[in-house]
Amino acid sequence: MRISRRAFLKAGGLAMVSFGLDPLFLARAAYAQGKAAGPARAGRVLVCLFQRGAVDGLSMIVPHGDPLYYKERPTIAIPQESVIDLDGHFGLHPALAPLKPLWDAGVLAPIQAIGSPDPTRSHFDAQDYMESGTPGVKSTADGWLNRYCQHQREHDETPFRAVSFGPELPRILSGSAPSLAIGDLRAFGLRAPNDAVRDRLTRAFEELYEVAPTGLLASSAQEGFEAVNVLKRVDPARYQPENGAAYPNGRFGQSLLQIAQLIKAQVGVEIAFADVSGWDTHVNQGSAQGQLAARLGEFAQALAAFARDLGDRMSDVVLVTCSEFGRTIAENGSAGTDHGRATAMMVLGGGVRGGRVLGRWPGLDPAVRFEGRDVAVTTDFRDLFAEVLSRHLGAGSLDAVFPGHAVQRERFVGAIRG
Amino acid sequence: MKHTVHTCAATSLLAAVLLAPAARSAPTPPAGGSLSARDSALHVLERFAYGPRAGDVDRVAQEGALDWLDAQLAARPHDDPALAALEKRYRVLALDSGDWARRFVDMRRAVPRGLGAPERDETRDLLGEVRGLAIARAVSAEAQLREVMASFWFDHFNVFLDKGADRFLLPSYVEDVIRPHALGRFEDLLLATARSPAMLFYLENVQSVAPGGRPAGPNANGAGRRTGINENYARELLELHTLGVDGGYTQHDVIDVARILTGWSMEPPALGGGFVFRPRVHDYGEKVVLGTRFPSGHGEDEGFRLLRMLARNPATVRHVCRKLCVRFVSDDPPDGCVDAAVAAWQKSDGDVREVLRAIARSPEFWSGAVVRAKLKTPLEFVVSALRAVGAEPDSAVRMADVVDRLGEPLYRQPSPAGYPERQEEWTNSGALLGRMNFAVALASGRMPGAEVDLDQVVAPTSDHEALVDAVNERVLGGAMTANTRRVIEEQLDDVADPARARALAIGLALGSPEFQRQ
Repeated sequence: MRISRRAFLKAGGLAMVSFGLDPLFLARAAYAQGKAAGPARAGRVLVCLFQRGAVDGLSMIVPHGDPLYYKERPTIAIPQESVIDLDGHFGLHPALAPLKPLWDAGVLAPIQAIGSPDPTRSHFDAQDYMESGTPGVKSTADGWLNRYCQHQREHDETPFRAVSFGPELPRILSGSAPSLAIGDLRAFGLRAPNDAVRDRLTRAFEELYEVAPTGLLASSAQEGFEAVNVLKRVDPARYQPENGAAYPNGRFGQSLLQIAQLIKAQVGVEIAFADVSGWDTHVNQGSAQGQLAARLGEFAQALAAFARDLGDRMSDVVLVTCSEFGRTIAENGSAGTDHGRATAMMVLGGGVRGGRVLGRWPGLDPAVRFEGRDVAVTTDFRDLFAEVLSRHLGAGSLDAVFPGHAVQRERFVGAIRG
Repeated sequence: MKHTVHTCAATSLLAAVLLAPAARSAPTPPAGGSLSARDSALHVLERFAYGPRAGDVDRVAQEGALDWLDAQLAARPHDDPALAALEKRYRVLALDSGDWARRFVDMRRAVPRGLGAPERDETRDLLGEVRGLAIARAVSAEAQLREVMASFWFDHFNVFLDKGADRFLLPSYVEDVIRPHALGRFEDLLLATARSPAMLFYLENVQSVAPGGRPAGPNANGAGRRTGINENYARELLELHTLGVDGGYTQHDVIDVARILTGWSMEPPALGGGFVFRPRVHDYGEKVVLGTRFPSGHGEDEGFRLLRMLARNPATVRHVCRKLCVRFVSDDPPDGCVDAAVAAWQKSDGDVREVLRAIARSPEFWSGAVVRAKLKTPLEFVVSALRAVGAEPDSAVRMADVVDRLGEPLYRQPSPAGYPERQEEWTNSGALLGRMNFAVALASGRMPGAEVDLDQVVAPTSDHEALVDAVNERVLGGAMTANTRRVIEEQLDDVADPARARALAIGLALGSPEFQRQ
């Protein structure tokens, strides 16, 4: 079998892995070596989860200590007896019960009243801004996670550095830094009726691209083949979650399972992204039970399974949830909620200063609401993302990641130890 | 204006050939020194069409590359029997903007907005057909350049299918705004987009009102609508559609452009969703844009004046010409071809056909450094592959879905900047593996949604050398490298069945680095 020179030089131990040499030990050594030079921290992983459709932050992290909450939501408020109390004022939606042990362990921190400085109530625009990282500026070409990768280049040796689970690369990861969109790890690579044909086809294409005159084309093809070779070792079809972790069926749970699998395989994942939709609860949102409860239940199960599956490895992982905006404080005429402003997000991981609800809570009083109806934004979402990038991943300057936003540590909510 | 000085003898020879009227009818096209007639034919087919079908290179080489281009520029929309036959199969082309608006209203009524409210299946299928049609036209139309330009202008004036009302506004935006002007005058196209509900909704001009006015439009969500101008459209109009980001405008210009365009809006979908000017929300005050005064008291008319002024601004001309050169010549186009395009624009009052003619006649277009140096976008790759194997896509959305998965979801680019053109944006390793998978599946007839006819390409043969020669000529236009030839021949070594050998050779050729470039 031939080892392409570039693959060998570039991936170091990783390339050998696929040729039967002691896999994990070498991979880890090569990986650690590669990291030593750069400022970013070896082995750290950021998992970013997008709740598309504007999740109701008041139903996730319920302000059950505030009578106004119950007054404004006569049929869809979560009854006090169902709320899982966190700090006397806020509590978890009962469907988020799988997250309570993580709160108790101090590795889960919700952030209330977080959102975008741009007041748009359009899903499309708000998602776009949250992914581009430039609220109010439409023409930004790339996403902030990709810009992070562009400016912290020392991770380049692995094709799995930035992965997104889904058929297409999302806006947040699009840009000039290499990133992989993976629909399903088990189907990644060339398709063929059997393994022998597949291996042969893979080798043929590998050879076609080895001497391609366009450097960029050749290098990205070889990155793809490196990924294929690494995955062959990882053998995604035979993966078994550890510690009895039970991921929910459905795309979101399976995405988290595959992210956990890649992290454990030590293939150099630094950024992972997945999204989940179904949060646009205009009609019959439900209360302790109902449509939203069902979505939250699946969401919490997936997060809890992920943390359980990774076990001690969670010390290197931070998971952040986000959503484009929150929903109206008052319920509407259809027992649902309309598009609002601030929502709640969560961070989870070993480095998280959890067990506290973070962010400055503006309250529900009409006088402090945004335009008299919505939870006001007191934390700019970029400050949370910036805190995670800098304190967890060890990113240097973030000026280029969030252009037009002067990142100041005083504005960090204190979600990450550092 | 800066002009590149060419001292190269081959270049001046080329210029002489190009300028001589007699050269236009010569059987051999002019080329930059080293290009043969076939290479020249391939080059124009790769850039001004979606790549050759089997036999096209010989035909165009015979006709002359520039004569072929002139014929493409002269083609009238209704003189394309291939296209007409194809379009008959599409139900969506029988629907007008009013029909789409009615569907939108019905849909909203039938399925209240709610948790993951599914679209009614029929509308979803129709929108799939709209996306599939774009691919099918690009594959089958004889007037290839019109299809290439329709795609170019859609990107330049991008709107996003999945943003609210744009679901029903987009089909007519494509048919009535973009396509009729694909080879027309830039100013007409700019005006048509500025008056299209699809654009005004997408970039929120429908919400932009003079202070104190009441906004309108189908996107307002519950209470709390804001009043005042919305600068989104104004900003993108200057930054993307006309002057360009370095076009010398200020934030003050953006604001006054937005004020001039207050009232350019749309009817509610229930009333047809057409363009409407709303005098009550227009800002009648005085404005100044780029130093030009727009006196107070004017209504809709000052918008026309503004757009005409922007269309003729030298920064606009340069910006759009450069973008055309990026598309047709090189990711980093030399000044020479941009200058030639600008001169043709100014001479022809922004006639896109003259600008394209000038680009194709510029020495830079024929330079060895740019031939086969551009990476195909996913759309260009899929369409050119379908053309190369004589495939006919069916009327479903499946080929558009392939393009989506390769990273360029058709009509689904959220950013108003449209899809990028530079190669680094398209060299994603996962997507490249996807291209190889598509290549192999297509050649072996395992790609649902595309009927492949490999007999059009090459007859099955057990002579592998002859097979690879034919694949090189017919699929790669003769561009096959020695390495690719070696790899394909090695792979064919133990394949006895001629049909299987042919499919494998074509699959590898379509997935090769050569075929990723144009």
